[in-house]
Amino acid sequence: MPLNEPIAPARKILPIIYVIDTSGSMAYDRIESVNQAMYQTVDVMKDIAHREPNAEIKIGILTFASGAEWRTKDATGKPSLIYMEDFYWNDLEAGGLTDIGDALNELHDKMSRYSFFSDEVGYKMPVIIFLSDGEPTDDWEGALESIRDNNKWFRYSTKICMAVGEDANEDILARIAGRPDGRPNSEAVIKITDTDTLKKLIRVVSATASKIGSVSRTNNDVQESVLTEVKGKMSDELGVTIADQTSDYTDKPEMAVSATSFSDGSDQGWDDDWDD
Amino acid sequence: MKQFRPGKVIQTVKGTPLTIVKYLTEGGQGYIYDIEHEGKHRILKWYKPEKVNKPDKFYQNLNDNARRGSPSDSFLWPITATERTDGSFGYVMELRQDGYHEFTEFLTDCKRIHFNTFKANVEACIRIVSAFQILHHHGYCYQDMNDGNFFINPSSGDVLICDNDNVAPNNKEAFIIGTPRYMAPELVVPAILGPDEEGNERKTKPSTSTDYWSLSVVLFMILCMGHPLEGERWLVPLLTPQNERYLYGSGATFVYDPSDGSNRPNPKVHANVIAFWKPLPPYMKEAFHRAFSKDAIRNPGKRLREIDWLKVLVRFQAEIRRCHNCGGEVFMINAKDTPCDECGKLQRVERKLRFRDYAVTAFKGVRVYRCMLESCNAENALTRVGTIVANPSRPGLYFLNNTDMTLEGRTAKGTVKQIPPNSVVPIKPGITVSAYSGSFTIE
Repeated sequence: MPLNEPIAPARKILPIIYVIDTSGSMAYDRIESVNQAMYQTVDVMKDIAHREPNAEIKIGILTFASGAEWRTKDATGKPSLIYMEDFYWNDLEAGGLTDIGDALNELHDKMSRYSFFSDEVGYKMPVIIFLSDGEPTDDWEGALESIRDNNKWFRYSTKICMAVGEDANEDILARIAGRPDGRPNSEAVIKITDTDTLKKLIRVVSATASKIGSVSRTNNDVQESVLTEVKGKMSDELGVTIADQTSDYTDKPEMAVSATSFSDGSDQGWDDDWDD
Repeated sequence: MKQFRPGKVIQTVKGTPLTIVKYLTEGGQGYIYDIEHEGKHRILKWYKPEKVNKPDKFYQNLNDNARRGSPSDSFLWPITATERTDGSFGYVMELRQDGYHEFTEFLTDCKRIHFNTFKANVEACIRIVSAFQILHHHGYCYQDMNDGNFFINPSSGDVLICDNDNVAPNNKEAFIIGTPRYMAPELVVPAILGPDEEGNERKTKPSTSTDYWSLSVVLFMILCMGHPLEGERWLVPLLTPQNERYLYGSGATFVYDPSDGSNRPNPKVHANVIAFWKPLPPYMKEAFHRAFSKDAIRNPGKRLREIDWLKVLVRFQAEIRRCHNCGGEVFMINAKDTPCDECGKLQRVERKLRFRDYAVTAFKGVRVYRCMLESCNAENALTRVGTIVANPSRPGLYFLNNTDMTLEGRTAKGTVKQIPPNSVVPIKPGITVSAYSGSFTIE
């Protein structure tokens, strides 16, 4: 038996997509905080990605201002997810409108088996980290209905929204962070008022979501788990508001496993037809 | 919570204070610090309070475990718990020696960290089984076996087991249900066991029999570098918790289930498993077939126990030899002439040791354990009876008595000779060596 150098066992891909508001109101210290935070976050996440046995992390960066634009591209310049180890942060600049609808349309277009999610090995539930500081300036509502009703990848994603400053529209972010059945989820909206806290929050949310999103889960509590852990880590910070998580699930190791949380995993969801 | 600063002193239950040297890393349940304690560098695991279920009982159990002491040197066992302070508590353990790597690294960084030989790979399996046998024999249940719990030396196969804080007396207290992918199917979906006598869904919790499941998963992963339940069915585009409940619970199907081929490894994605499974000896395959059979999935009592694994693993290890031409490893299955996979040179079987149930090729380094000779319980399975050795000044191979008893050797002609401890008998056809209530014959 030749002990050939083994190859790493196949891992599912965990897509982490940042959707970042680069409108005019983000200019100067807010966008600068995002840039600084992302430089540090990338190092932390590379380390996590390197050691994580359950998933390989791929990153997508989508920005929106007057229109939306993918910043992560493949070698041919086409929008793409990038393996964490190959990913580098490029500074963003702010200016323009707040076209949240365009951003949602872009997500809808690329979150597909025929676009970003074409790898045969398959995916963990994507994580979407959505950051905005203002009111939408386009038809965000139609775009949200469209992606929510027609895109399973989006519906099953773990969505964490950051509402930066007093002018951010938390209600809209709560709808974007909505649960798979469409109910708004205000608990998944984190409010931040100062930029130092924003920096730490981006790091903490990114690291926590990478870890929790990677591990294998047999109950449906990814979003709650991430938020509970983020809340714990940010508890000493001022200028951040994270709601208590009032889910049916708790993050504690539970012995009283109820029949509903661990229902008989039927064979639903095994169809290959992921794009409606 | 804020991290402890270097220099902070925390009192331990043992009465000897510890001093924080530096923060090292963060795990799921807590933070890890380099500390100074009793004049030595040691490790402190400090719990995140929100991650400890039933903290009073957990703390009590931690103290009980520390007081009882480690069941064997293979465990990085809690030395002492800290006093409860700063909103939580922790425990002190020894620093692991250099040269050991977390099994997770073997899976994620295998270009750098991999077993140097297959023999070391099998040795690691034997040591893990043996450590759990000792743990179970002491009445404990481990509860949370996963790839982060083992530190393995890739050259020697030696194993250190950490995260012993969830260890608790079997069937008494459970603090954690385990790590997905390693958890027994009934912990993922209790309904697979069917209703209890009164028609209600069973309450399942970690126990020795769920440990047996996790142990089989770990052994498969060490030998085949892939997961036993992750085949075609794992290749769904999006792995949701519902899929995982099916994959690891209600629909759990071994990738090589002989009666159900619906979850075979995919050649493009699961190349490791296909490559490593193929050359395994038939008795190893059969052991995995039994360990992951539909029957063993649904009937925890039918899972393979430590003795079952030890019997096949020591046999497997005895069949791995070095090619005398290129030095590559050759599996001499069933003591048959076998060509080396690497250089093609035929390895001839000159002498065999015939045990009760099978024969192995006699070559330098083969170890004879008690469970090869006779039926014995798991505690005695790894009692070393002897080793095949060579002497540079005399030609040929010899069997060295490793026991502290005088063994009996009988030649083909019926002459009986005593083999005192630490002395040898030549590997010559017809000689039968008796030890305990079994024997083997040289052919």
